[in-house]
Amino acid sequence: MIQTIDIDIRGHICPSCLLLTLKEMNNNVAAIRTGNTELVVVTDDRQATTTIPAMADRMGFCAEVVRMDDGYHIRIYRCNIGTTP
Amino acid sequence: MHRSDFCVTTCFRDIFLFRDFFLMRHLLLLIVSSMVLFEVGRLTGAITIYPFPLLGPPSLGNVIGGFIFGIGMVLAGGCVCGSLYKLGAGSAGSLLAVIGMLVGSTFYAEIHPQWSTFAKSTVLSKDAITLPQWLNLAPTVLLLPLVTAGGLWLYREFRGGRMVRPAFAAGHLAPWRAAFIIALLGFASYVLIGMPMGITTTYTKLGATIAALFAPEHIKSLIYFSLKPLNYTPPFSDHPITGGPGPHLDAFATIQYPLLIGIVAGAFFSTLRLGEWKLQWRLPRRQFVSALSGGLLLGLAARMAPSCNIWHLWGGVPILAIQSLLFLTGLLPGTWIGTRLLTRFVIR
Repeated sequence: MIQTIDIDIRGHICPSCLLLTLKEMNNNVAAIRTGNTELVVVTDDRQATTTIPAMADRMGFCAEVVRMDDGYHIRIYRCNIGTTP
Repeated sequence: MHRSDFCVTTCFRDIFLFRDFFLMRHLLLLIVSSMVLFEVGRLTGAITIYPFPLLGPPSLGNVIGGFIFGIGMVLAGGCVCGSLYKLGAGSAGSLLAVIGMLVGSTFYAEIHPQWSTFAKSTVLSKDAITLPQWLNLAPTVLLLPLVTAGGLWLYREFRGGRMVRPAFAAGHLAPWRAAFIIALLGFASYVLIGMPMGITTTYTKLGATIAALFAPEHIKSLIYFSLKPLNYTPPFSDHPITGGPGPHLDAFATIQYPLLIGIVAGAFFSTLRLGEWKLQWRLPRRQFVSALSGGLLLGLAARMAPSCNIWHLWGGVPILAIQSLLFLTGLLPGTWIGTRLLTRFVIR
């Protein structure tokens, strides 16, 4: 069972999106590495859809971005556990 | 700018905040491309005015202006140009930043006599506007090695894959393409109206126009609003044109108002077309305060410097204007201080 930590940062101005996501990634880095936890960031900041996956990559995680009605959903997870169907 | 998120504030801020040089590489690409275009334009006669109007003798005021500008742009979340495209995309924070800029740049008129005296007393060179003039060299002699070194370095960065990042936003435009487009626009502006793109005097003009509705006598009494620093004969014209920051429809209004409106409208239609436009007002209170206070500093600094990062980095640095190089010297530590304030007091 994978635990999901949701972060809603819609409306935030840059660089708040990346800083807050980074803070959550750092707080949960061990849990994400186990593969039991993933972060899902909801943002309407277009820049964040590039910077957050790049930062996740630098920390050794994978990220996927999906555009939905309420904004972009960025899922950050341990790389070798597959993607959301 | 909207499609690529080519934000000049991000270029500088992310160096100090995340040690991320990704967008700074693209700003360097823009500057190197503009160096080539402006110099080729000058040598071939397409550009007839060198250096372009409104550039003055360098002084310590440029450094201090750049320093305050750096703090302001980080707190505001965008510079005078970046805040406009973000406003067009629906950001309420950027709306506050723009209001702050209008107030800050209009308030400058109150301190102009004292600031102007200080800036004149710290002038470094009365005759030289550009570095080649100061060193008494042909511009090409200085620009050629800079462009060669910059071009080779950027080529290496391209080859190393450091100029491209995976992007997922709808309708994304690669920043390197945006850098080339902006350089071409700057070149077109220089050829057609005799100077690259600028926007900050319009903020003052718009602010003065609004203030004149409430306090017409006071606005009239301020000497800054009677100045006409723009006085030149544009290319393809036989008649000189003049303009200043006062609340009048003059050459400044003709040149800069369309740019200001165009940036907001361009971003508005871009987001609308992508189906992403909405008013983004759900912002923590600290970020609203930061945007407004950053805007005030930006507006004030843009008059003290004088002018903004767009004018200096996209226009002045490519011709090695000393004012612009000094502005950049102040901008870097200002941005660093801004990021410290941001992480300590705003985003926690």
